[in-house]
Amino acid sequence: MIPQGVEGAEKEKISPGISWPAATEGWKWDRKEEVYGSRAIFDYIDGAGEVYLAYHFKNLIVRQLEKPGYPRIIAELYDMGSSNDAYGIFSLERQDEEAGIGQGSEFGGGLLRFWKGKFFVSVYADGEGPEVGQTILRLGQAIANSIQATGQAPKLISALPDGKKGLVEKSIRYLHSHILLNQRFFVATRNILNLNPKTEVILAQYLRAGKKIHLLLVRYPDVKEAEAALQSFKRAYMPEVFEKGLLQTEDKKWTSTKKVNEFVLIVFGAGSEQEGEELIKGTEKKIGEM
Amino acid sequence: MTEERAITRRDFLQGTAGMALAVSLAPEIWREAAYAEEKTRVILIRHPGAVSAEGKIHGEIVQSMVDDALKTLLSGKEPLQAWKQLFNSSDVVGIKSNSWRDLPTPKELEAAIRRRLMDAGVLEKNISIDDRGVRNNPIFQNSTALVNVRPVRTHHWAGIGSCIKNYIPFVPRPSEYHPDACADLARIWDLPVVKGKTRLNILCALQPQFYGRGASFFDRRYTWPYKGLLLGADPVAVDAVGAHLLQKKRIAFFGEERELDVQPTHINVADKKYHLGVSDLNRIHLIKLGWMEDVLI
Repeated sequence: MIPQGVEGAEKEKISPGISWPAATEGWKWDRKEEVYGSRAIFDYIDGAGEVYLAYHFKNLIVRQLEKPGYPRIIAELYDMGSSNDAYGIFSLERQDEEAGIGQGSEFGGGLLRFWKGKFFVSVYADGEGPEVGQTILRLGQAIANSIQATGQAPKLISALPDGKKGLVEKSIRYLHSHILLNQRFFVATRNILNLNPKTEVILAQYLRAGKKIHLLLVRYPDVKEAEAALQSFKRAYMPEVFEKGLLQTEDKKWTSTKKVNEFVLIVFGAGSEQEGEELIKGTEKKIGEM
Repeated sequence: MTEERAITRRDFLQGTAGMALAVSLAPEIWREAAYAEEKTRVILIRHPGAVSAEGKIHGEIVQSMVDDALKTLLSGKEPLQAWKQLFNSSDVVGIKSNSWRDLPTPKELEAAIRRRLMDAGVLEKNISIDDRGVRNNPIFQNSTALVNVRPVRTHHWAGIGSCIKNYIPFVPRPSEYHPDACADLARIWDLPVVKGKTRLNILCALQPQFYGRGASFFDRRYTWPYKGLLLGADPVAVDAVGAHLLQKKRIAFFGEERELDVQPTHINVADKKYHLGVSDLNRIHLIKLGWMEDVLI
């Protein structure tokens, strides 16, 4: 299906199975295309290149559309290699309202972000103006429609206790590196959880009576690595209660830890010992059902 | 070899350390006993006439705001007396501004600072205002004092555009500081060209940007006429208050706590790792002057 306003006859193939519209709502593709391989990402987004590489980024295609008297519209198609990582890069900065595009999307501040299959897509304008927002959405919808293959979101998400426990859906982040974890929720300057490209991390926020609790769930390649990581975390974060793995922190809230097979579970900021324990148990149960 | 202790989330919850070390790293002028306590004082001054409905900034009002704020910060009786406490005729002063296309340091604010430096006795030829050219600017290369002034706004890689971050043009490859949410920006403040020279930090909150998505984002719908200035000797304390202001505005605007693209971790790290100043709001004495409508903090 081609959305209204998109000139389907001028669609141009840019990648196997994907074609973009050459014009939308009077904005026309400038006929140039920039392609960046993995390390070349720094040539395009100097400071944020590490973010994409941490998600096993493969390549990026950028096109711009112009309309006289209006801001340019920029569309970026990131091949992340897997649907897990396409979801991951999308989830990392998600905060705005769902736009109903692709397999998960948000639109806010003139920026459309969505994921579908192994692709993450970003569409935005380099300025304000009438019709700009609508055109961004239409172009995004057209790109999403042209991506044929869908994919699965990370299975690990299913280990999160559900909304009845106060889960904030928009807060779910999927990532691999401690640097990205720190961007969303600072844990430590050093990589005390031994996170690496092979670890899968879910960070999620729960709201209980208006108070935020953070659940961190990490899956390691094997039980041994999970055990070593938990030991490392406890040594750095809670040396005074190393054996127990349960701590009332300086803000009077509770941090609890548990290892379940190859998983490490940590709850930060629980209002009570019991509250943390409840979230740990709920996660453990869900892991058992995976 | 002993492994360096990790700074953890718990360090940020403690609100300890920092103060004594911060004072010890401060320029001599701030180490004098009478001013040691001012290290963690931050002045917020607002004026309803500072920015017109059309967005025009009124220079005379901005001048009086800077004067009143500095006078209060230094507990002086007269503004000029306060300026003279910080600067004298032998100083070579670089005013580190910010020239970002969409929300630069207002010319009116730059002019107010330059005027008072000259009133305090600094020779005009020994004053320079610069941003991206500071590394090749002889005044900055030979400076004895710096004034750090920039607008407060959201920032894709650092969480917020802060006073700490404003010194990034002093390094040859700024991108080296981008990883890890720019956590180590405070390291720049240890470079010889900068170290111990900053006598005043000003976060311009006349029209802050409180929300943004992605790099180079600017949209006037997400700026607002706060008509304020945040001013202090401690860049970390000034930035902590600035970050708090943006957070409060996002909550007021969206009706919920919207997270920044990245957490402004560099402010806490500047305190706990680099001991550049104080990031704990409980330990910052915020003094509010002037217009209080919708003050938010």
